[in-house]
Amino acid sequence: MSEREAVLEVKSISKNYGSVQALTEVSFKAYAGEVIGLVGDNGAGKSTLIKALSGVHQPDSGEIFLDGERHNWKSPQEAIDSGIETLYQDSGLAPDLTIGSNVFLGREIMKKGLLGKLGFLDQKSMEAEALEDLAKVGISVPMSRRTVSQLSGGQRQAVAIGRAISWARKVILLDEPTNHLGARQAQEVLSVIEEAKKRGLCVIFISHTLPHVLQVTDRIVVMRLGQVVKDAPTSEFTAESLLASITGLSELQG
Amino acid sequence: MPELDRSVLTSSPELPRSRAREILSNQQFLLFVVLIALMTYFYTRNHYFFTVGEFQNIFTDFSGYALLAVGEMFVIVAGGIDLSVGSTVAVSGVLGAWVMNGMMNGHWNQFWVLVVGTIICGIVGAIVGLFNALMITKAKLVPFVATLVTLSAGLGFALLFAQFFNSGQPVGNDPAAAVFSSKAIWVFTYPSIFIIAIVVIAGIVLHLTRYGRYTYAIGSNSFAARAAGINVQRHVGSIYVLSGFLAGLTGMFYFMQLGSGAPTSGDGFELTAIAAVVIGGASLTGGRGRMSGTVLGVFVLTVVTFGLVFINVPPAWTQIVVGGFIALAAALQSLRPSGRKSA
Repeated sequence: MSEREAVLEVKSISKNYGSVQALTEVSFKAYAGEVIGLVGDNGAGKSTLIKALSGVHQPDSGEIFLDGERHNWKSPQEAIDSGIETLYQDSGLAPDLTIGSNVFLGREIMKKGLLGKLGFLDQKSMEAEALEDLAKVGISVPMSRRTVSQLSGGQRQAVAIGRAISWARKVILLDEPTNHLGARQAQEVLSVIEEAKKRGLCVIFISHTLPHVLQVTDRIVVMRLGQVVKDAPTSEFTAESLLASITGLSELQG
Repeated sequence: MPELDRSVLTSSPELPRSRAREILSNQQFLLFVVLIALMTYFYTRNHYFFTVGEFQNIFTDFSGYALLAVGEMFVIVAGGIDLSVGSTVAVSGVLGAWVMNGMMNGHWNQFWVLVVGTIICGIVGAIVGLFNALMITKAKLVPFVATLVTLSAGLGFALLFAQFFNSGQPVGNDPAAAVFSSKAIWVFTYPSIFIIAIVVIAGIVLHLTRYGRYTYAIGSNSFAARAAGINVQRHVGSIYVLSGFLAGLTGMFYFMQLGSGAPTSGDGFELTAIAAVVIGGASLTGGRGRMSGTVLGVFVLTVVTFGLVFINVPPAWTQIVVGGFIALAAALQSLRPSGRKSA
């Protein structure tokens, strides 16, 4: 093996929802320190693919390898334990919980000693460490124990991404992270993606906003009707050719 | 790479909240004011209101609803609803009474009869809760329908058991239990002390432990909870078992009050429990509310009900006043700032 090993390899996975073939023999590889754009029209199968990679759904067939090791995640917890973090479109946070509680959701810091064994939370440490972790990836959110519902849309997204990046060890899946954001906030999200890349993470970035995809990715995987139709370095795409391969116009034109 | 100005992320537009809104949104404070006002009013109408004996009665009434409301609180914070708690009181009371009656005929020590009875009632309640849990997490029924099934069937079973054990009459006859349950330290009867201790523990669990945190997370956004690795189905199931267990203990409480297990005790209690939780400020959509609010909610309902009877107001008025409280609580909720819909 002269080539470096892919951190994530998807080998011909398929998934049906009843009679709907959501994914057909999807394969691609992703490397550490690489940002991959996953694009496609609505219903192309991007979200289904993300759900398979994050353990929310199990593919009907096919294999997923992480660092060369085959995985068959039965739950999100198993994918998280393997080092994959996911930012879901619009719904990654619990709005009624504080920033700290959200960042540490599912891996709470417990009190020391007997109290911790009894299930008592160390809320102070969680709030403080959450702000620290978020600051490390370049996100500063207001102090104080605010609930996420009290933050603006951009701040919420920043917290969600910061949470994913600070926990991810290998792969981070971002489903439409710039959706509903203003231009400036979106740029900040993109710079946080750069930060994740610098940390050696493999970032899979799903977006409908093609300029963002062209700006931040190293490689683009185009999906259409549940299949991968193109997988090439970003430098080979222009805005027009990317749009053409998403819609399928490139094939019609020869 | 140019250093980006992150001021957009740091400078948050302060939410427009007037001082009046701030106070109105603190439902616990308002409830407390209402409670004081009510008690003052009842006292002016009848000075005997503030006596140890009457407060023993108030705390006894409070204890009958408190555990149901606490169980309901966990369920509602998790985004569900449990309509079956009243029927669970009935069915656990009748079955517990039957077991205790058998023990008494076998000349068991009175103390152990009550201990075993409490355990039996708790277990029966937990089993009823398990039915709810399975219907909701396995058969995927919505909580309203699943617990409506149990509300109806549970009451039916309670009547059937009573028919079978004692031709439809309340089961068992244990005047000693009633005597024991009227013993008190100051305003707290023995069963009240036991129940208040459970309420305090439940409040600690809800607000300070991981179990409580997951309950809020699931009610706030169950998908986010699942994505964070929480086993949502198992947690939700355990909450219905908990609610059933607490309703079972309440069945034991009413057995001790009456000295027998009546299939009609618990009739309509689910509505009181839900009302207390709503008046206490919890959101029926889940994720919001505090245990102290629910406890105050139960207390306000108890004092209103007790007080109106105490000053000889016809009982029909009690229902209307309770309805008014619920309406008021709901109106306050719509005033509170909700960030849910804003993007």
